[in-house]
Amino acid sequence: MIELYHWEPNIYFFKPLIALKEVRAPFTSRYFDPTSFEQCSASFPQSTESALNLEREGPLLVDGVTVLSGSFFILEYIAEAFPAASLYPADPYERYRARSWGQLIALQLAPAVCALGCARYLAPALAARDAQQLKARIARIEPLERRAAWTAVLDGSYDEKTLAAVRERLQMPIKRLEDALGKSAWLAGAQYSLADIDAFAMLSPLTELAPQLVNAAMTPRITRFLERMRERPAVQQALTLARTSQPQQAFVPGAEPSRWG
Amino acid sequence: MLTLYHWEPNANSGKPMLALAEKGVEYQSHYLDLLNFDQHKPEYLRINPDGTIPAMVHDEKILTESTPMMEYVDETFEGPPLRPGDPKERWRMRWWMRFFDAYFAPSLSMIGWSVFVGPAVRNRDRAQLEAAIGRIPLESRRIAWRKAMFNEFSESELTESRRRVAFATGVLEQHLTTHPWVAGNTFSLADINGFNLGYALPLSQPERCNDEKTPHIMEWLRKIYERPATQATWKKGRTPMAQRVTVLQRKA
Repeated sequence: MIELYHWEPNIYFFKPLIALKEVRAPFTSRYFDPTSFEQCSASFPQSTESALNLEREGPLLVDGVTVLSGSFFILEYIAEAFPAASLYPADPYERYRARSWGQLIALQLAPAVCALGCARYLAPALAARDAQQLKARIARIEPLERRAAWTAVLDGSYDEKTLAAVRERLQMPIKRLEDALGKSAWLAGAQYSLADIDAFAMLSPLTELAPQLVNAAMTPRITRFLERMRERPAVQQALTLARTSQPQQAFVPGAEPSRWG
Repeated sequence: MLTLYHWEPNANSGKPMLALAEKGVEYQSHYLDLLNFDQHKPEYLRINPDGTIPAMVHDEKILTESTPMMEYVDETFEGPPLRPGDPKERWRMRWWMRFFDAYFAPSLSMIGWSVFVGPAVRNRDRAQLEAAIGRIPLESRRIAWRKAMFNEFSESELTESRRRVAFATGVLEQHLTTHPWVAGNTFSLADINGFNLGYALPLSQPERCNDEKTPHIMEWLRKIYERPATQATWKKGRTPMAQRVTVLQRKA
């Protein structure tokens, strides 16, 4: 049976939970708290890929001896394993569009969403913990970029100038998503697909984190899209796996923004 | 009819060029000279308003992202499969393509832009270069070109890029020690992607990528170089940059 290692149903962790519920696949839920760093211990499922994961901390799907990481690629794996559920569009060009969305969301949207979420929720939570112990634990994380992502949250490098730059980076992906939802019912085309799950998981927290950018007046299509997604039984079922009362406040450092600017 | 707008067989342009050759698909080749800013000219911006290359037009459908573009080629056309049948190998193919695209390539290309692309255009009239930058649609590309043209990459940025290239080379060598091809047992789009990224590593990073330090990378590159599709594709190169691939010729 598939095992899914996940945290609260938010951002990267939300995606495979929704997908598995959509395809009605039985799976064993392995809840973990990445802020306790249990995912860095030797007994946690590991692979070359999970250690180098550009998302830093994300869901792991264990199928047999294979440890799969990378939340969008996990969605593709689920879509291919359960073709009857049609999470993949049938048409190759719509599949191209779905994958292009996955790329845009991973590289342009997710880093900014995670930065805003960490600034508001994770940084204060870490600040309330024993600083010495936390620093010592983070110092043991490999590789360097994963360690640096946590150190950045701990150091509270989220001044208003930085956050303004993060919100600036959100504008392009938000505009593209808003425009696209004006041209087709769902992101890849006329049918609901894994691209919608991927976008929803990352866009959903923005109604709280960046209400000046995502709201009924500025982004009516995204707002309606979020409502439609929240109404889906699979999304509601995924939310029952939350162990806190506010899953939308659960953030991990996430992928770094592009180094090229 | 399929038209591909591309530069040299290299990096993002080379990915669909090689995928189409491996699949056995004829295409209309539309060469754009990146160093002449052909990709920012109005006739190309009508195809791809972002002004990035490559772009593919197939039966009026436009594709502008090179990695999903390769999967489209494999799904749409008859020919040898370029993606593994095994779902776990497929997952591995996709994971490594993202690692190449978002981690390895950006650092390697930053070095390449600072030592090659920048100097290649720097001697032109400053006002012309500024005007060229002004025509670039995407902010991120304007920043990149400005840095390359006027040598504005900081020492710390370049040092970090070199560190990442060294790290990623080691990671890839380790991976190819236990996997014949990037996805596992099957040649796939991930090898096409990786080849376009790494074919010139023995020349650009000789102290890191050579038969002593990285024998598995060298053997993997040579195997791909020897494939007929690679030979045919690299013959389409017009510059010394593509000629670098001959470093992979086995010595008699």
